[in-house]
Amino acid sequence: MQVIISNALEQGLIYCFMVLGVFLTFRVLDFPDLTVDGSLPLGAAVTGALIVGGHSPLLATAAGVGAGMCAGLVTGFLHLLLKSGESDSTNYGPKLLAGILTMTALYTVNLRVMGRSNIPLLGVETIFEKLGAFLSLTMVGWNLVLVLVALAIVVKYLLDWLLHTEFGLTLLATGDNEQMIRAMGTNTNFTRIVGLAIANGLVALTGSLVAQQQGFADVGMGIGTIVAGLAGVIMGEVIFGMRSISWVLFSVIGGSIVYRFLIAISLRLGIQPTDLKLLTAVLVVVALSIPTVRRKVVRL
Amino acid sequence: MSAPATLDIGALRKVFFPATANEVVALNGIDLEVPAGQFVSIIGSNGSGKSTLLNAVAGTFPVSAGKIVLDGRDVTRQAEHVRSRTIGRVFQDPRAGTAPSMTIEENLAISLLRSKRSSLRRGVTNRRRDVMRAQLARLHMGLEDRLKAGVNKLSGGQRQAMSLLMATIAEPSLLLLDEHTAALDPKVAATIMQLTAAIVAERGLTTLMVTHNMELALRYGDRLIMMHAGRVMLDLDAGQKAALEVGDLIEKFHEVAGEAFAVDRMLLE
Ligand SMILES: Nc1ncnc2c1ncn2[C@@H]1O[C@H](COP(=O)(O)OP(=O)(O)OP(=O)(O)O)[C@@H](O)[C@H]1O
Ligand SMILES: [Mg+2]
Repeated sequence: MQVIISNALEQGLIYCFMVLGVFLTFRVLDFPDLTVDGSLPLGAAVTGALIVGGHSPLLATAAGVGAGMCAGLVTGFLHLLLKSGESDSTNYGPKLLAGILTMTALYTVNLRVMGRSNIPLLGVETIFEKLGAFLSLTMVGWNLVLVLVALAIVVKYLLDWLLHTEFGLTLLATGDNEQMIRAMGTNTNFTRIVGLAIANGLVALTGSLVAQQQGFADVGMGIGTIVAGLAGVIMGEVIFGMRSISWVLFSVIGGSIVYRFLIAISLRLGIQPTDLKLLTAVLVVVALSIPTVRRKVVRL
Repeated sequence: MSAPATLDIGALRKVFFPATANEVVALNGIDLEVPAGQFVSIIGSNGSGKSTLLNAVAGTFPVSAGKIVLDGRDVTRQAEHVRSRTIGRVFQDPRAGTAPSMTIEENLAISLLRSKRSSLRRGVTNRRRDVMRAQLARLHMGLEDRLKAGVNKLSGGQRQAMSLLMATIAEPSLLLLDEHTAALDPKVAATIMQLTAAIVAERGLTTLMVTHNMELALRYGDRLIMMHAGRVMLDLDAGQKAALEVGDLIEKFHEVAGEAFAVDRMLLE
């Protein structure tokens, strides 16, 4: 039982960075960014290739995050190319297409980075050992969870700080009322690209950590990231509420953990791992349609 | 913070969908010289190009021909967000001027940042809160005690008052109002209009105000412009304006616009 709980916590905390990234794009920027299915394995691939190449896991992780940020930049620039001139922020077509293009291109990039479709990372030193050594902990039992909690808190506070800066306010407003913030002298093309870069950096961080924790990087590990991320965001918002930005960042991390618990329970109940993506998709559909359905029912 | 600017518009043309079946000549050679601190009311039938003129000045889209000179600087080809640093705008839709899911203080902080590059310093500071409270107090809506309330909790009139405050708080050199009271109920519209006049007078802002309400156009502003089919058809100074009544204005309108006016909704409110 304890093992299940600590495993689910580990997974929830490792994936919370990805969920925060999806929150940043979907909710803050109002940009449904499909890049994430490619930037998660990108983080894993870059980190894996560097670690296997004998580099420090800290450098390898940072490089993975950096690569993810570049992927976000690419999506941002593609969106600029694809959108037709004026600031029609509710036109999601170019946003979706930009993400799909980058995601597709990243499949090739990831294979190139790794040189094959899978890199094993067994028996190598990972960022967890490094951080553990720094905190004088060995990575057994609950200590990994502790390290991850510390990392999640640091990232949460960094985001919280950023979103309360002057720049952060313009970032929030870009997704909330683009016409207004442009009329206030903000270049929303710039804020959007920066936001996409940060979000995909977070997603790549998760990819990098997943690879180091499970012991391999795989080109297929990003499939369904966007849906899992949405599931985490929605569950966090529904269960823990969204009083303020500071609060909702915690909610989203909580949502990520709850989602991984649900998965662990499903697996315990004998559901096949391959069926989980369908289940998650159904879960997201149900959660997203609750307001619509409720409105319809009330009207009837 | 910038002083009120002169606005100089020369031979301005805007054609939407040029060289297609849908071609629309929205602005057909506009010449307009506005001295610093002048308050210009703009009236005209639907589709006469009033909004297009304001959008062109604000840089929402590139113009087809002509010149826009703001404070002696040619801004015709300047990007919208650069021009926006010195141009305040209020739109018809009260929802357009504020970020709904952000708080009152976050919205106002954004408007205080106009004309500055946003930094990585804290956006809402206590010093800024003091400025906000002082400014909000003059709205007499009690908003100064609700800095942390979400803007989506406010009424349309409150939101439009916020929009007006946000457009003017950083002392723009030019204020563009596009039917900014048209979506409000009459009493609230009157309040917002009085507030507008007070702010414009106090700061001596160069202002272009589009309205469908002839009475407003006559009562407020130092100059009245009537547009039709992308052109300025009538240009009255304060003296000429003062001598007119709504009835005279409608007559003038018939003269310049011919029967087009007969089907116009612009008739008296
Ligand atoms: N973004 C746009 N794309 C294409 N055509 C446009 C656009 N904006 C305005 N037009 C057209 O330009 C013409 C002038 O429109 P504009 O909105 O400036 O009129 P207006 O005087 O503001 O009218 P109203 O009183 O109804 O607000 C209209 O024929 C309109 O259809
Ligand atoms: Mg208009």
